[in-house]
Amino acid sequence: MFKDNQVKKIASANGITLFWIQTQKFKTNSINIFFHDNLTNENASKNALIPAVLRRGCSKHPSIRDISLYLDELYGTSFDCGVTKKGENQIIQFYIECISDKYISEDIDLTKKAFDFLMEIITEPVMENGCFKNEYVIQEIDKMKELIKGRVNDKMHYAIDRCLEEMCINEPFGIYDYGSLENLKSINNKDLYEYYLKFIKTLPMYVFVSGDLKPEQIEYIKDNLFKIKRDVEIDIKEAEIEVAVDKVKNVIETFDVNQGKLSLGFRTNTYPNDEEYYKLILYNSILGGGVQSKLFQNVREKEGLAYYVFSRLEKFKGLMVISSGIEIANKDKTIKIINEQLEEIVKGNITEYEYEAAQKSIETGIKSIKDSQLQLVDFYLSQFITKSDDSPDMVIEKVKNVSVKDVADIASKIKLDTIYFITNKERGN
Amino acid sequence: MEIKTINYDKIDETMYLYQHESGLKAFVIPKKGYSKKYAAFGTHYGSINNEFIVDGEKIKVPDGIAHFLEHKLFEQKDGSVMDKFSKLGSSPNAYTSFSQTVYLFSCTDKFFENFNLLLDYVQNPYITEESVEKEKSIIGQEIRMYDDNANWRVFFNLLDAFYEKNTVKIDIAGTVESISKIDREILYKCYNTFYHPSNMVIIVVGDVEPEKVFEMVEKNIIKGKKDIKIQRIFPEEPVAINKPYIEQKLAVSMPLFQMGFKDINFETKGIKCLNREIAVKILLEIILGRSSSLYTELYNEGLINNTFDFDYSIEENYAFSSFGGESKDPLLVKEKVVNRIKDLYQKGINKKDYQRIKKAMRGRFVKQLNSVDRTAHMFMSVYFKEVNIFDYLDVYDQISFDYVEKVFSEHFDTQRLAVSVIKPV
Repeated sequence: MFKDNQVKKIASANGITLFWIQTQKFKTNSINIFFHDNLTNENASKNALIPAVLRRGCSKHPSIRDISLYLDELYGTSFDCGVTKKGENQIIQFYIECISDKYISEDIDLTKKAFDFLMEIITEPVMENGCFKNEYVIQEIDKMKELIKGRVNDKMHYAIDRCLEEMCINEPFGIYDYGSLENLKSINNKDLYEYYLKFIKTLPMYVFVSGDLKPEQIEYIKDNLFKIKRDVEIDIKEAEIEVAVDKVKNVIETFDVNQGKLSLGFRTNTYPNDEEYYKLILYNSILGGGVQSKLFQNVREKEGLAYYVFSRLEKFKGLMVISSGIEIANKDKTIKIINEQLEEIVKGNITEYEYEAAQKSIETGIKSIKDSQLQLVDFYLSQFITKSDDSPDMVIEKVKNVSVKDVADIASKIKLDTIYFITNKERGN
Repeated sequence: MEIKTINYDKIDETMYLYQHESGLKAFVIPKKGYSKKYAAFGTHYGSINNEFIVDGEKIKVPDGIAHFLEHKLFEQKDGSVMDKFSKLGSSPNAYTSFSQTVYLFSCTDKFFENFNLLLDYVQNPYITEESVEKEKSIIGQEIRMYDDNANWRVFFNLLDAFYEKNTVKIDIAGTVESISKIDREILYKCYNTFYHPSNMVIIVVGDVEPEKVFEMVEKNIIKGKKDIKIQRIFPEEPVAINKPYIEQKLAVSMPLFQMGFKDINFETKGIKCLNREIAVKILLEIILGRSSSLYTELYNEGLINNTFDFDYSIEENYAFSSFGGESKDPLLVKEKVVNRIKDLYQKGINKKDYQRIKKAMRGRFVKQLNSVDRTAHMFMSVYFKEVNIFDYLDVYDQISFDYVEKVFSEHFDTQRLAVSVIKPV
């Protein structure tokens, strides 16, 4: 397991694994329950609807209002649930966080109450005629349609997501976290409820408890967690990482906008659990991972073409995306300057400053993970998914051993796949 | 060196304070065991301050200049100060809000080298004509980015609906047209007026020794002239709202709205200001929070979705509540809110709701102190109101039901309700 004493694996059985991040630093305790599935067209929207419907109420607190009244009484305990994707996995998350008992005057076990509540949300939905409460399902399908249509409202994120989706149009990664309007059309309450019963029994579950808990509190959580009835868990597939690019794809979408949004999608052909991955981390930081990066220095500071420009990794699928908001007429010029930066790294033209600053920026970023319970949980969950047992400190050490030559070597593996651009109707392209 | 220590035992926090002879105050909130250290150096000067008196002369500066100056301060004689922070492995940043400009960094190592750099560059501007021109194209892209951002636009349109003259309605970055008028000389004028230490504050949050922080402050802050008095000029704002409704079209999937109440007769400084903020926030929770009957009704009828949120802002010359999100029928939402408020005027506020929400808000406040960044940011956002973040604890302990009832009748006056809507193209 993790070569790290901060996170402990408490127990693992029936496809449920319980971790405890023991820390006294925070004023709160948190519990995160994750269900993992393969990202598929068939199930994506259903997986997204499950937390949306469950959050509407449970048998003891059967409406949003009842839930909210109860959480207020628990000193403003935060509760949320939702869905994300990591590579070609879809992850359904249930989260609760309450303040530590020492900051309240009453003698109650808030953490226990918070855990009980989260379990009730997951296992005791509001029922009607042997299914979910129909009103909730109908309303949440409508809200999810709005959410999917509403993706265009945030052009910056939309341009990144769409670039990667177009790039992986024939791969599971191309599926949106919430599925599609098409998927939603065919979902009804009965199917969804049947699916939910399977979901609870067969999706692998990872539970992270974080904070200053007593051993008996952990015991209580463990005992109750393992009461969930389970069948044989499904197999989670790994994403395909090495994909050849025949020809660079060009995609243009037109909106009534002032600013053009440019995204370039790349295949890194690098596995997240391979030693090569540490080279990729440094590569990305030098290219576009902050104010010290080649993209920021050249596209913004030197040429004044953009306010924001950066590169980012999607490590689970081995992708990288460069994104920037620019004057529509400057598309070709910007692409030219980005290409020059990519070329420079391939040639090994990395200054000592760029190398040192990138190293330090990664170190600072990883050390900072320890200051946030959610980031710690996300770090260990990600490590678990990629079957890597490195602690944050070990990641820093491994990146430190990457040389300029290593960065140039990895650069030659990275292939441009798709150029995506949002342009304006009038200005065209 | 005189250091004041204030303990907040109920929440395990301590705050240290030191006042420099220039008038500048520096604060340290230590966070044992945290990796990240965060320092911010802020001035009481933001986008609303576009008219003031310099050497007896009244001047009006182009919109967006405080933000422009923030960008330009990163430029130093020997290159960009960002490079120096990067070499130290820290992330430098800055932001300009309506009434303050804040320069900050966070780091995990070499805190004092970083801190030294922060104190140095903020006090030593180096602005050239050439670099001002280049910055215009970068900020031009920032402005265009916000022009396409529906959440940003719907909020600023609401401010335009509230205010006829108040400069809070002006976009923080200005416009492409207004920033074209900015030059080196005028930037220095603003700098020399507002970046005097007595108009500034320093906050450090993280696992650091307060004494060492204050020693560096003592050594590195330029003393400057004493007792300088900044004369800010604000236009007279009518009590009534500017317009009840404002609409714009953008490339969005469904309508987006923000609405709220323009506040009048509010205290602008001290604990009274926090009292009012918390009172209005409690009331907003009671009227349209997730535990309200109105929220359930709006949600079930498909009139709001999970983007729905609300807030209250109070600063030296404006205060307003705002709430909104996506909706297929914003005007129907307005109608239902107005009816609910009428209803509450008749039935009165339920004391149990007030008690429950107060308890929840206090818990959420404690939770925010988990984050070094959040703590420093909250500190800055209230400091120039002459209060500190831990004063919120007193507010939660002392705010009375009578006061909340009084604020209800003052704030939620539908005569001062304005609505801003963004519709799809």
